[in-house]
Amino acid sequence: MATFLEVRDVKKSYRMGKFLVPALRGVSFDVETGEFLSIFGPSGSGKSTLLHLMGGLDRPDEGEIIVDGSNILKLNDDKLAELRLIKIGFVFQFFNLLPRLTALRNVELPLTIAGVPEKESLKRAEKMLRLVGLEDRMNHRPSELSGGEQQRVAIARALISNPKIVLGDEPTGNLDTKTGWEIVQLMKKLNEEKKQTFVVVTHDPHIAEAANRIVHLKDGLIAGIEEAPKGR
Amino acid sequence: MKFSKILSIAWESLTQRKLRTSLTTLGVVIGITAIISLASLGEGFRLEIKERMQQGFELDVLIVIPGSFAAALREPFTSPEVNNIRNVTGVKLVAPLITLPQADLYNETNEKVNALTVAAVNFSEITQMLSERFVPMEGKIPGPEENDTIVLGYKTCFWNETTPLVRVGDNITMQIEGYSINKTLRVAAILGKSGTSGITNFDYWAFIPADTATQLMRREVYNIILVKVSDPEQSEHVANAIEDVFENPYSISILVPIAFMRQVDRILNLVQIFLVAIASISLLVAGIGIMNIMTVSVMERTREIGILKAIGAKSRTVLAMFLTEAVLVGIVGGLIGIITGYGLSYALAYVLSSFIQPQQQDTVFQAPETQRMTLNPVFSPEWTIIAFVFAIIVCIIFGLYPARKAAKLDPVEALRYE
Repeated sequence: MATFLEVRDVKKSYRMGKFLVPALRGVSFDVETGEFLSIFGPSGSGKSTLLHLMGGLDRPDEGEIIVDGSNILKLNDDKLAELRLIKIGFVFQFFNLLPRLTALRNVELPLTIAGVPEKESLKRAEKMLRLVGLEDRMNHRPSELSGGEQQRVAIARALISNPKIVLGDEPTGNLDTKTGWEIVQLMKKLNEEKKQTFVVVTHDPHIAEAANRIVHLKDGLIAGIEEAPKGR
Repeated sequence: MKFSKILSIAWESLTQRKLRTSLTTLGVVIGITAIISLASLGEGFRLEIKERMQQGFELDVLIVIPGSFAAALREPFTSPEVNNIRNVTGVKLVAPLITLPQADLYNETNEKVNALTVAAVNFSEITQMLSERFVPMEGKIPGPEENDTIVLGYKTCFWNETTPLVRVGDNITMQIEGYSINKTLRVAAILGKSGTSGITNFDYWAFIPADTATQLMRREVYNIILVKVSDPEQSEHVANAIEDVFENPYSISILVPIAFMRQVDRILNLVQIFLVAIASISLLVAGIGIMNIMTVSVMERTREIGILKAIGAKSRTVLAMFLTEAVLVGIVGGLIGIITGYGLSYALAYVLSSFIQPQQQDTVFQAPETQRMTLNPVFSPEWTIIAFVFAIIVCIIFGLYPARKAAKLDPVEALRYE
């Protein structure tokens, strides 16, 4: 399998008042094309920071992150935004939908930013909402949807530009166990059907179970990489 | 992102916060209203003054008098001097006047006819010189051979507007103090009302033929020379050329009405700019209001901005979204302001015009007929466009800071913002 994303000896610190707090202290691993990778660790282990760096939302202090052949340290802000728009889809713990827009418009947003004509973008957004099972919720605003439904909308939004990789930051962290499990199954299904690469940060063992590989993170360092048994 | 989409997002965002948006816009509306109404009233006032001055002066007629502030009084002008002026380039016509200020006029019943000045002129010259003003109401301007005649200004004849002291064909006796002259003259014509208060208002003057005067006074000197120029715009050049005719140019004074008018026009222009500048302050205040509201709005929407950036919006897209909101406020406020500015101008003109009427005073030196002052707002497209563009520029300048703040937000930080 080809390597889609490389993380090479990445270090990142945050300034907390007077102190520099290290979040990542030298992390290296690869993400293979089409795999479902989980980054597992307790809170404060630096996993969200790692995901932000992998998604080009932030830049590492040291080390390299290479997404589909391009080193994100060498991209300017505009190029980085373009990368996020075209190649990466994000799913957040708190959904991060725009409250003023309907589910349909939220899903359409990345296409709107990309300048896709409205006629086409609406059609694609409808199709995507149908895929996540929300065909009868299209014109509801986020406040009129349940947590699970909101996360489905967020997943639909993450997938609308047909990105090569989807990054999930505790996607089930704000949902009850049952709904969380459904979301995991949905992501797994999309991963298998659409051959899209998924990287999901979690401290939920259920999600980790669904992954092909689990990267264990602890105190900003990799504690181990666990291969899931074949056939799962 | 397509601009049409940015525009519709900005518009939506504004219309969703109706009260806030309308109050912000109101600031711009007030600023533009103030600018438009002051500019248009100033323009109207300026044009009114200009028109009145044009009525009061013959703009193409220079008035040359002996003596000046720089030098002491000099002797009146001689015939050769008058002829030299005739030869100056740019001079179309010259009419010298002899004034006989000591002259008293009496009608047939020995009542005094109140002419402030009796002037001796060549009637054909003066008629050409002041073709619009030197027009008889009754009788006929005497021809070159008709000596011993007199032409009366309107007010010398109709002192109280009802019964004339003299009629055309009557005889008038002219006495000149110190010369023991007692001359009988036939009234040939009575001039129409001059109507305005300019220098060439002859309502209180009486005119006799130049030949009659030179015979009586036994000398030929002139106290005033009227010079008509071919091009009023060249008045100053002609005036300089006339000064050069004289050995001592400082010994004469030349009144150049158009220069005077230009000066007044310039002053009024400055006043107008000053008024607009004051009005512009209110637009600046509106700009600060926009900055204030937008800064709050950026803070409120920090998370939204973070989401947009996380899913791939460029900084300049975010900048454009916020700046578009500011510009929309400017455009809408500007357009409404122009309309209300026009409305306010008319209202102000109506109210103000009753305050600015000239006082009627019963002195002979006051113009007898002071017209009602009309104050009409004049809307120049220039001022309207300037005000509108100014509104948009103010909105861009004051919207730039909060919009940049939004664009520069770090997506990770913005997403974490509660």
